Amino acid sequence: MLKKIHTILNNMNLQKVRFTVQLLSFVLFVYGGYFAIDFGSKLPIFACPYNKEAVGACYLIPLQHQLSMPAQVLLGGAGIGVIVGFLGFLFWFIFLNKAWCGYVCPFGTFQDWLTMLRKKMRVRFSIYTQNQFEDLSKIKYLFLIIVLFIPLLMGIGVLGSEWSASFCQMCPARVVSPMFSGDFSQWIIDFSSITAMILTALGMIFAGLFLLGSFVKKRFFCFFCPMSALHFIFSNLSMVQLKKDGSKCTKCGDCYAVCDMQIKDIADDVTSINILRDDCIMCLKCIAACPEEDALHFDIFKFRAFSSTKEGFEKRMNIEKPKQAEVKFSQKGHSDD
Amino acid sequence: MVHFVKRDKNDIFSKPVLGFLFKNSRFLLLLRVTVAILFFYALYFGFAHPTRENIFTTAVFWGVFWALFMVVTLPTFGRIFCSICPHGFLGKYITRFGLKKTMPKYLQNRYIGIGILVVGWWGVYYTFDGFFKSPLNTAAMFSGLTILAFIVYYFYKDMSYCKFICPIGTLTRAYDKLSFTKLETYSQSCKECRTFECASACQYNLKPFTFAKKNQTDDCTLCMDCASSCEAVAFKFTKPAQQLSSKLKILNAEVWTYILIFASIPVSMGFAHGLNRSKIADEFIWNKTAEFFDLGHYAGGFAFLYAIIFSVFFATFGIYLASKILKKDYDSTFTNLGVALVPLFIFASLGHTLETFFTKEYKMIIEGFAQGLGFLVHVENIAQRGDGWLVYFELFKWIGIVWAFMLLYKRMQLIEATKLRKVFGYFFASSVILFYIALNIYTGYVFSKYGAKERGEHGSSRDVSHSPVSESALQDSKRVKKNSTYEAKKPIIDEEQIYFSLTNTSLKMHSHGGRPEAKGTIPTKKVWLLADTKNSPHDENLTTYAFDTMHTLIDLKSQNNAYTFEIPKNGYYTLFAVSQNSKDGNNFYKVAKLEYLHGNHGSKDIYTEDIKKQLSQNKTKIDLIRIKSKDEDSFFYTNQMGNTLTFQAFLDNKPLQNATVNIELQSAWIKKLQTDENGTVAFTIVRDYFPSWNEFDKRYKQNMLLTLKYSDDTTNYILTYPATYYPNNNDYESYGYALMLMTLTLVVAGIVVYRYRKNRLKPFKEESYA
Repeated sequence: MLKKIHTILNNMNLQKVRFTVQLLSFVLFVYGGYFAIDFGSKLPIFACPYNKEAVGACYLIPLQHQLSMPAQVLLGGAGIGVIVGFLGFLFWFIFLNKAWCGYVCPFGTFQDWLTMLRKKMRVRFSIYTQNQFEDLSKIKYLFLIIVLFIPLLMGIGVLGSEWSASFCQMCPARVVSPMFSGDFSQWIIDFSSITAMILTALGMIFAGLFLLGSFVKKRFFCFFCPMSALHFIFSNLSMVQLKKDGSKCTKCGDCYAVCDMQIKDIADDVTSINILRDDCIMCLKCIAACPEEDALHFDIFKFRAFSSTKEGFEKRMNIEKPKQAEVKFSQKGHSDD
Repeated sequence: MVHFVKRDKNDIFSKPVLGFLFKNSRFLLLLRVTVAILFFYALYFGFAHPTRENIFTTAVFWGVFWALFMVVTLPTFGRIFCSICPHGFLGKYITRFGLKKTMPKYLQNRYIGIGILVVGWWGVYYTFDGFFKSPLNTAAMFSGLTILAFIVYYFYKDMSYCKFICPIGTLTRAYDKLSFTKLETYSQSCKECRTFECASACQYNLKPFTFAKKNQTDDCTLCMDCASSCEAVAFKFTKPAQQLSSKLKILNAEVWTYILIFASIPVSMGFAHGLNRSKIADEFIWNKTAEFFDLGHYAGGFAFLYAIIFSVFFATFGIYLASKILKKDYDSTFTNLGVALVPLFIFASLGHTLETFFTKEYKMIIEGFAQGLGFLVHVENIAQRGDGWLVYFELFKWIGIVWAFMLLYKRMQLIEATKLRKVFGYFFASSVILFYIALNIYTGYVFSKYGAKERGEHGSSRDVSHSPVSESALQDSKRVKKNSTYEAKKPIIDEEQIYFSLTNTSLKMHSHGGRPEAKGTIPTKKVWLLADTKNSPHDENLTTYAFDTMHTLIDLKSQNNAYTFEIPKNGYYTLFAVSQNSKDGNNFYKVAKLEYLHGNHGSKDIYTEDIKKQLSQNKTKIDLIRIKSKDEDSFFYTNQMGNTLTFQAFLDNKPLQNATVNIELQSAWIKKLQTDENGTVAFTIVRDYFPSWNEFDKRYKQNMLLTLKYSDDTTNYILTYPATYYPNNNDYESYGYALMLMTLTLVVAGIVVYRYRKNRLKPFKEESYA
């Protein structure tokens, strides 16, 4: 019985499953407000509450607000509130680890849809060189520092209240997310102070870069997402993990070729067991593309929920029917290069 | 000897500035000479000006070097305190001309140095309050130590003074373990070495080429003599306390230093300076003991003694139990686990030292050095006691505690035992850390329960907790200034009317009305009922009503002219105050109405159309109801300039025609309107806020007051309705610029992508001019 479930899971058409999950969670998190659903404000995704119909809020918002309390208040009891809030974040996080990014985050889903649009329009996609990749992937930690330290500086009185939620003012999700419910009120530059002007102007620039970037580059923003950095710091606590058995890896590079995030370690690193990297969005495409038995697997605790199998690979690639194989293949993004 | 090595990336000697600072022998010589001159000048100055007027000597010894420089450098770069110490610097020259005898065994005892430090300095410090504050005593003590040092250097070889007699020699060696630097050699180069220049250059008789293998640097004081003798010596960045994550030989004396210094500084301070300032100071055991021996004046000494007893007990007994549980011998467990205590003192001290530097010593150092150089300077301290950001220094000791736990965990991993034994062993070995946590929590408890002794401003860091009040009071006074200057221009009052106010202007004090309360209690809101005289309307006929969000009557507690009501839910709360009187044959029916919108961020309430439902009531004869517009869709709705407000007037629940509605903005803009046949009246809030754009405050809140007046045959009706309004979004938000910027970004980025791709399309061609 268990074996049967395993086979079914391992043979599933990941593309379809993922598209459906993403569509459902997009509707839930972007339009859930119409159904009066509320998930609280500790979500580990960019469910932006600037969009009035959002059913919850990105954890970075309460985090920034809480940390900007006056230092004495923060260290004198209110800090417990911060810790409780953080535990709330962890509570959500441990269930899905970085799969929050790949399957639930509406902002990520939107980028995937832009990628689909690009494919339809037959525009080819861009990639970074390995050097660019390594430099750029540090930016998310810079943003995380902004998220954490600007509020703390506000708390000790160095920065004024115009710095409130300073990352949000820069964040493209603030500009883009409300559009889904027809609200363009965030497409503004706030001239009420120089700080606000610069921050909102940056927000507009980032939003512009986001729209263009995620059109030509898969998951453009996720490289720079501070939430992704925050995820990675606590990723070991999660109950789901992405694991690799290096001894079974042939370094064929299929996993790297399908990876939206261009993570080279997934193909190159044959020594680490935990193959989750800070850029990973746990979309599990690498597992689906891996032809080696159990070389890559997605674990829920010790249970291998989804493993790479030869059978599943052949099924997904339609190896038996060479005529259709090409079509499927191109959807995986190979022919795009 | 090696003349050239390819240095690693983490080698400090390969870094541009740091490499010069740590390696250049001329610079180091210059630095040491400067420090030595400063040292002897400060000693001379102490003898020449023995009174408290002399702040130079104090600034040099107690401002810069002890505490500040030492505590800051030890857990960071290591023993650089020793590398610039004038004793060691001059000692090297003295040893060269000296007798070079081997130190007798009974003097080769590190407990001599530790004993001098703990008893001779800290014991005296606590017992005789203020002894070392005198420049003469300071100078005398350091001169004594200098003479002692020079005698020992003259007689004995291998810098034995530094190793055994110097009070801080073992201390710096012990706490150096925490630093993120390490002196070692490139073992590849050392393999072929047969000359050992590094070892022969070392006046301490150490062997730098063994440091890497030994995983520690023994008594190395980072004098860098070896580094100038051979290029294979490296000074590397490591992870903080990296040495401690693998095996190394730790001296018993080092662990005793951790315990005794921990007892003498954080714990004793907690006893003698912390708990002793609470109201129940006399109840503590050290004060009682002092009382028993009739030595009340020296109670500090007893506090110190008890601190030592407690700390030593918890440390040794805890580790003893741990050693039994782990089935290891006591001595090795003591050194292996005891070393984990290293961050406790240094971080507590670091936080304290930095805090006093910003609040006190910065001024002392600058003014002291100016005095020493013969001119007068006056500077202000960087921070005042109680400044918000200083509380972060309180966190340091907790970092130390957490780190100690982590180190203990790492040290425990190196011991071989079963998991269960390790868990219990860990618990007992950490008992001294737990004791320190308990002390901190208990101190907090004592101060919150009993409070501090009322005596001068000699407060501990607990004073900080009082400051938020004073700070907000300060802010309030600022705001009051804004308000009061405004009111001096134009009071917003009409004859004979009463109105609700969210601020108590009669007290000339701004209050937010209802402070945030503890979780679980229902939040309340306080408002004030005011009249034109600004005093409370002492009216026997005054009746008040309050409606909650569900339009049911709720309690309104009154105290003088202040009214308090509970606001458990988000939504509109409505208050009425009715006053009836007659004067000169005229009847007056006065109503003060307040519609208060409560919005609480943490709440899960959802804004529905229900919330805007009109409240119709029969408690007052006359009413003015605001018709809420469609745009109002959140609990945080505010009126903005340019918004159109619509009101409907009622008399006996029937629309009231031809009544006068007087609108008065804070900026003295006035408009009079008549209600139409439906009793409605609509007006647009004018824009009356024109600051220069860089002074624009989008939270600039202004008040307005609507007054509904109507007279029939018998009665004059007056109803007031206060409201607030803010600048309009459109006054500071620009869609145009935003779209322009967005378009520009898209165009520029698009061109960049296009060009980049075009270049990539062309095959790579090598330019050739052959």
